Amino acid sequence: MAPLEPWEKAIVDLDAFSQTTHGKKTCVDCHGGVQSPDKATAHEGLIASPSADPEKYCGECHEEQVKTYPFALHSTQAGYWTTINTRSVPENHPALEEMFGNHCATCHTTCGECHVSQPKNVGGGLFTGHVFEKTPPMTRSCTACHGSRVGNEFLGKNEGFPGDVHFREARMNCVKCHEGAELHGSATDAASAETHRYADAEAPKCVTCHPTAAPGGDENPMHQSHGDTLSCQVCHSITYTSCDGCHVAISEKSGKPFFETQATYSTFLIGRNPNPTEERPYKYVPVRHVPVAPTSYQFYGENLLPNFNALPTWTYATPHNIQKNTPQNASCQSCHGSDGSFFLTADKVKAEELEANQSVIVGLVPPAVELFFRAPKTPASHADLASNACTACHTTGIRNAPVSPEDHAAYQDENCSGCHKLQE
Amino acid sequence: MKSKALKILLIAFFLLSACGKAGTTSPTATVEEKPVETEAVAEVTPDTDECVACHTDKERLIETAAPKVEAESESKGVG
Repeated sequence: MAPLEPWEKAIVDLDAFSQTTHGKKTCVDCHGGVQSPDKATAHEGLIASPSADPEKYCGECHEEQVKTYPFALHSTQAGYWTTINTRSVPENHPALEEMFGNHCATCHTTCGECHVSQPKNVGGGLFTGHVFEKTPPMTRSCTACHGSRVGNEFLGKNEGFPGDVHFREARMNCVKCHEGAELHGSATDAASAETHRYADAEAPKCVTCHPTAAPGGDENPMHQSHGDTLSCQVCHSITYTSCDGCHVAISEKSGKPFFETQATYSTFLIGRNPNPTEERPYKYVPVRHVPVAPTSYQFYGENLLPNFNALPTWTYATPHNIQKNTPQNASCQSCHGSDGSFFLTADKVKAEELEANQSVIVGLVPPAVELFFRAPKTPASHADLASNACTACHTTGIRNAPVSPEDHAAYQDENCSGCHKLQE
Repeated sequence: MKSKALKILLIAFFLLSACGKAGTTSPTATVEEKPVETEAVAEVTPDTDECVACHTDKERLIETAAPKVEAESESKGVG
């Protein structure tokens, strides 16, 4: 996105704007200021971004959105705080709040920063002469912020890798999947507000548009056998971007905040789902390295993330570069009985991050398909076993349980259901 | 004697008339000020909206734009 000249950011297309509902108001109605030909006088008391107070300026007509948006993730940025708080302790919050205010809070988005102008953190500037856009223009709004990872993947800007099929072949934009109801949020109070984008129901869901790809929805044996074990992206996304070690500070020279990301690289790695839920039951998901380090915020104080290992640094990811055919879905052997190149195995994790990533590291790659088909099924009566501690009985033989063979010594409880499917 | 009294009466009438005129000129002056107020109101009608006048004029926006400060970002890497 080319930067705009100052005049381009502020010019109003009166012919177009005056034809719209918002154009029926006077400038001063929303922006305050003073009627004067002198710029400084005219801008006295100017409200540059009226929608920073949505209830006052937008609520009269957009009551439903104004009720929920203050609790939506684009407004609260709660996803950041969920992870920061988990890795930190309450006594560090004042320092972290200062850090957040300087480096992260600019990503907070007002109504206007999606619907009438480019977001402030990319320089601002009116989209189309102050005409309000019901659908935010994708590259000037959505990917202006979500550009370096999602935007580049979706639009095919990562050299050597095609863009997402939904964009490449169907020219779909972000809001085709991420509808207003999702972006504006659904909570009406802080207690029920979203805490992280992966914390609640999966939205959007691929199977909403591709219902036959749901487990049991079509004759595709891959969908039949993997549908509830793998997220769709495990088979259908390709190489995406990971980053390491973002550090933030205030410049001694300019007094302005800045950041430095130590490394950016391309990966495609399948890890274990660190937090399977009813909505996201997948055993395996793609994982992306996020640019956090124990010292990311050390400019603001020593050891601000004492619980750094409480969360993985390789995180649940939903890469936006979906393809029908991918290297990993080319054959069963890509994963089953493979050398593990597609998996986040311990050797691919930095030694100092091993503890943090225990919940996502894949211990053993899935066995060869032949072994898989030979594996006895788990009796249906086991479905009610609450402990899921298979090895407790099957390594000791108690309760006449068949003892697992010697070559299973490396397997742990979490591996069993991969081969020993529950009898129906 | 009669003519002297007549002169005095004439002078008195003249002076009274002059005072009366002075009393009636004040309201007239107030009325004359009203058009000034009317002109001030006319300045803020939408027909001459100063916001629109400037923000639809590319040349004026260029002229009045704050000097561009080319602050080189010290950030490195992908954000």
